[in-house]
Amino acid sequence: MTEPLYRAHVLCCRGTSCSSGGSESIAQALQKLVHERGLESEVKVVITGCHGFCEMGPIMVIYPDDTVYCHVSLEDVPEIVEETLVKGRVVQRLLYRDPLTQTAIPKYHEIPFYGNQERRLLRNCGFINPENIEEYIARDGYTALGKVLGGMTPEQVIETIKAAGLRGRGGAGFPTGLKWEFARKAKGEPKYIICNADEGDPGAFMDRSLIEGDPHALLEGMLIAGYAIGAKEGYIYCRAEYPLAIHRLKIAIQQAHEYGFLGEGIMGTDYHFELYIKEGAGAFVCGEETALIESIQGNRGEPRNRPPYPAVSGLWYKPTNNNNVKSYCSAPMIIRNGPEWFASVGTAKSKGTAIFALTGKINNTGLIEVPMGVTLGEIIYDIGGGITKDRPFKAVQTGGPLGGCLPASQLNTPVDYDSLTEAGATMGSGGMIVVDDTTCMVEFSKFFLTFAVAESCGQCVPCRVGGQRMLETLTRVSQGTGTLEDLEEIRYLARNMNQASICALGQLTPSPTIASLRYFEDEFMAHIVDKRCPAGVCEDLVPAACRNACPAEVNVPVYIRKIMEGDLDGAVAIHRQANPFLSVCGRVCPAFCETRCRRGELDESVAIRQLKRYMIDNLGDRTYQVQRHPDNGKKVAVIGGGPAGLTAALRLGLLGYQVTIFEALPVLGGMMAVGIPDYRLPREQLNAEIDDILQAGNVQVRTNTRVGQDVTMDQLRAEYDAVYVAVGAHKSLRLGVPGEELQGVMHGTDFLRDVNLGADMSAVQGKRVAIVGGGNVAIDVARTAVRLGASEVHIVYRRRREDMPAYAEEIEQADEEGVKMHFLLSPISVAGQNGHVVGLNCQRQKLEEELPDGKKRPVFDNTGRKRPFPIEGAEFMLPVDLVIPAIGQTSDPGCLGGSCKVETTRRGTIVADDHTFVTAEPGVFAGGDAVLGPASIVEAVNTANLAAAAIDRYLRGEPLRTPATVLDRPVGQAKPDMSEEDGSRPRQHPAYAPAESRIYTFDEVERAFDRETAILECRRCLACDLEKKS
Amino acid sequence: MPKVNVTIDGKQIQAEAGSSVLEAAQAAGVAIPTLCHHPALKPEGNCRMCLVEVERQRNLQASCVFPVSEGMVVHTHSPKVMEARKFVLELLLSDHPTDCMTCEATGDCVLQDLAYQYDAKVGKYYGGAKHDYAIDDTNPFFVRDYNKCILCRRCVRACDQINGVEALGVAERGFSSQIIAGLGGTMEESRCEFCGMCVEVCPTGALMPVGTMKQGRYWEFKHTTTVCPYCGVGCNLDVLSKGDKIIRTRSAWDKAPNYGWTCVKGRFGLDFVNNPNRFTTPLIKRDGQFVEASWDEALDLVADKLSAIALEHGPDAVGFLASAKCTNEENYLMMKLARGVVGTNNVDHCARL
Repeated sequence: MTEPLYRAHVLCCRGTSCSSGGSESIAQALQKLVHERGLESEVKVVITGCHGFCEMGPIMVIYPDDTVYCHVSLEDVPEIVEETLVKGRVVQRLLYRDPLTQTAIPKYHEIPFYGNQERRLLRNCGFINPENIEEYIARDGYTALGKVLGGMTPEQVIETIKAAGLRGRGGAGFPTGLKWEFARKAKGEPKYIICNADEGDPGAFMDRSLIEGDPHALLEGMLIAGYAIGAKEGYIYCRAEYPLAIHRLKIAIQQAHEYGFLGEGIMGTDYHFELYIKEGAGAFVCGEETALIESIQGNRGEPRNRPPYPAVSGLWYKPTNNNNVKSYCSAPMIIRNGPEWFASVGTAKSKGTAIFALTGKINNTGLIEVPMGVTLGEIIYDIGGGITKDRPFKAVQTGGPLGGCLPASQLNTPVDYDSLTEAGATMGSGGMIVVDDTTCMVEFSKFFLTFAVAESCGQCVPCRVGGQRMLETLTRVSQGTGTLEDLEEIRYLARNMNQASICALGQLTPSPTIASLRYFEDEFMAHIVDKRCPAGVCEDLVPAACRNACPAEVNVPVYIRKIMEGDLDGAVAIHRQANPFLSVCGRVCPAFCETRCRRGELDESVAIRQLKRYMIDNLGDRTYQVQRHPDNGKKVAVIGGGPAGLTAALRLGLLGYQVTIFEALPVLGGMMAVGIPDYRLPREQLNAEIDDILQAGNVQVRTNTRVGQDVTMDQLRAEYDAVYVAVGAHKSLRLGVPGEELQGVMHGTDFLRDVNLGADMSAVQGKRVAIVGGGNVAIDVARTAVRLGASEVHIVYRRRREDMPAYAEEIEQADEEGVKMHFLLSPISVAGQNGHVVGLNCQRQKLEEELPDGKKRPVFDNTGRKRPFPIEGAEFMLPVDLVIPAIGQTSDPGCLGGSCKVETTRRGTIVADDHTFVTAEPGVFAGGDAVLGPASIVEAVNTANLAAAAIDRYLRGEPLRTPATVLDRPVGQAKPDMSEEDGSRPRQHPAYAPAESRIYTFDEVERAFDRETAILECRRCLACDLEKKS
Repeated sequence: MPKVNVTIDGKQIQAEAGSSVLEAAQAAGVAIPTLCHHPALKPEGNCRMCLVEVERQRNLQASCVFPVSEGMVVHTHSPKVMEARKFVLELLLSDHPTDCMTCEATGDCVLQDLAYQYDAKVGKYYGGAKHDYAIDDTNPFFVRDYNKCILCRRCVRACDQINGVEALGVAERGFSSQIIAGLGGTMEESRCEFCGMCVEVCPTGALMPVGTMKQGRYWEFKHTTTVCPYCGVGCNLDVLSKGDKIIRTRSAWDKAPNYGWTCVKGRFGLDFVNNPNRFTTPLIKRDGQFVEASWDEALDLVADKLSAIALEHGPDAVGFLASAKCTNEENYLMMKLARGVVGTNNVDHCARL
């Protein structure tokens, strides 16, 4: 029967993912409507397998236009029929949109998700009806079998597979051709073919989609393999949890019989082959080939000791060849297109393509096929569309629960068998789970270990008991009760499980943990030594994620409840215990707390920073309520009056020490005073806060006193019992390009200091200014320049906007204020005339490196950002009068000298212990930016809190370090029920001064919450710290 | 059998092709510790005690199942191997009661011996999960204390491979794995025939004959190789006794005709010897009461009565029935007595019933 020539084919995805999204009823509704509109002779509705872009499902593709509709629902069907199928118009709202630009991409092949792939194995998935053998035949299906049976000897088939360089797609990467040869040469009859479709990894669905989308490819591959090794029977071992795959396999087997591709005398030759499906009952270990064979034989699924290998003694102890679904599916295309074609993509030792199931915290989850050798970064960022919510990439787990994770430093690792193994992960069958900074690697390891331990068959001791003991040890670490010996124990258990277990499950159970330990040992140490979970996940250590995320560990939920109760004194007191800067941090804190607020997982985080500002702005009496200890007669010198110096002075002053701050500048406050512009942090707010501190701690101050110049370190050492060095990081990094010495080049921090100290800045008025850099200083400089009356303000940044380290809010406000931002542009020299700046010579950048073979490839740095490369010939001059580099700062601890043995790093920062902040010189402690490099105020405060406690212990003759304790939880308080109203209320936003007027003044831009708004916002808090531990 | 050249711990030896590394080592006099392995059972390699380092193999290999091949170089006591064995033992001990002081198997426990040999500590994983199974003493023959089970599966294999009953199996998986009878009930609910081969091969105190309990320490028992008194097969048994008391039957693995194999009677039935109800002298009924008599009295009485019956009613009025416990020789003599002395062919044997 010939089919009519349809003018349109509508491909409805009926993969497992889209089916769960309702694609079956969508397809039925479409079919019905097409019929009702009398279009059935013009439009054909085709049910297909998975398109791979599961994130966007249910997916519908319409040919010949190549239009793709995403997230199609039942309600959309009438419009699709009316608009697209009848009138030929595209339904705009159903199109895929670029997540960054929001531009619609109507055509399937133009979507970057597909554009960057090489779909060979998946070529039929989503394009043919997997339940119709004719559609497979129409796409050259079974021609490879014909070619094989029509004139190739089994040896020739094996040679062809060997020549292609196909390696086992189940993950181990054993050369497939060689395996076939072993089975061919093995003595014994009959021989068997087995397909391992027992895909049991969490987050993996490669084999499933392939079978569901193109089942005949598997059949054809197995028929070819059967011919090659001399087998007459084959088994497909498929998980019972894959009902659709099994259903389609059954149909495929039946149709293949009907068409003479299976059974007796295939294609008229004397080759006969039977295929059976064996449904696995869901034991992960049955993915191990010998356990799988035992399972087929009806036994308990437990691996056998090898040798003998299945090629010699497999199913029913006869020669058996076992391959993964993808390996068999590769065979027909190798035969059809030749081994050279297959090997034309890939790396020297890993040929062809690889299929991955991308899942986790990635924008485009789904099934992808890429040439071997593309880098992890390309998969994650170019195909995967980057990390959800633009969070930082942390790690990617490959190889499933027996694989390993790789960190950002491995983003340039090519994806092939050998490179991944070398990096500490494995290729595995193709699962790829991406995690961001909200994942704790201890917990992540525990997840996989728990899985593997539960799936141990229990046959051998190392896996059965060793896995359990390892899980117990790792659990202790995650609960904060682990010891350093536990880490050694984990390594010991891992080493011996790997050496002593019978099968790969036992041998590789420790792999994810060991890979995590390799790359994230710091995080394990934090759990053990500090009793902290940096990612804010492990529930025994994290009373509330916000408090955990705060470097100073300010008890956020408690002060929020106090604000709600109207107890601002109490709220402020709680805050001051951990961080004395409320006015400051209420305005300019990066609010680490908000990035981890659990409310943010529901809708938006609680506006914690604004609440902080509300409580201090509305506090009646600002005096500290805590009583200063009586003078203890000991004296401490603090060098530097920034956030770290002031905090340390306050803490020590309250303890009864006589503290003197030595400040080189005429004002206290450090970067808070001379770095942050007034429009973000009004001077009087800062000064009030500093006064509170000085008063509470009875702190003496000597401004305009530069240690190392006006007074020496040795003098201080002699006169004071301890010295705290917190001189900040005020020295701007230089661009290092010609012309930086010209008149008109000012460095970012110098510029801001001059402005803040009231210098005459009229030279900026009416001038064209170019700022180099993408951080907060660059934005501060730009917005300050706008306010100083610059005629043009340009920001030149060598990466993309989304790569800028500055706060998004600030970038947006700079935009509103007319700052022109130039991305992918790098300065190469400052142009001058008569000693004055006349412009900035720039070169455009691209985000790809050109390889010697002419191919291009992005290179990722440790932060997951693509490294810029200069474009030859794309240079031009930006005509400007002032150039302000703001590419970072470093510390200049010139105060050190004399006999002081304090060490500094190559970057110029001071070397200090990261728990006590003592330097190499006893009695001298350091903190803030001088140790950390440029960081936030709250991070500086944390270093000062820790140093002050250590200084106190030092002066009392106690050991500097005390054992860490777990963050406390409120006791005896029940978690209040949240009203529906509070549960659905969106985040409250502060008002901002309008851009048109604010650019003429240094008045504060952001407005405070009023009482009502603040209380409403407080009520959005989920009070995580009152939650019962599970 | 063709031979292959193998180097074990520096010793160059010729081993039979197809033999395991363990067999080759044993033939060469190199001792490799084993736990799940039992010479009478097919090796399974599950305990990983017999691991050895085979050059050019990525992982350590269980020598009981790893076949020798030409040119193979094996190290049986390298540091890697010693660490792995101790690792295995300490894992086993971590889920094992540490009650060797009162355990019936003490002195006859492979685990105990190896722990001593490898200095494996019982407290290594203190606080970790430990099984707490109820002790099953529901059958009259042996006690099952799976807290002491190390899942070597010797019992399962013995049941499958020696007696072919297949009463035992492994249920659950991973750390929860346990040996079950039938579908998980008592031994009597399973198809168990109580041959006791499982008890015989158990390397720990997990399976222990009821009759052995509290009877003494293993080293106090005397071993006597003797023939089973029950049937005419004449199985050889290794009978353990203390003083006059039979304590337990062990298999005499190297003795014909049974080569260690027993049935329930030989394994668990010898306690009749020490049973106070057992007749130790002949009894003669006098005035309606059985009273003790000497053998001469009793035999005289029997001879007199048989002679009288034969004289009065003819020899065919007498019949002879021999016990299956008798040996061939005894049966022969019984036949002689019947035919030659009494003159009747009425002679039979209970095994025909």
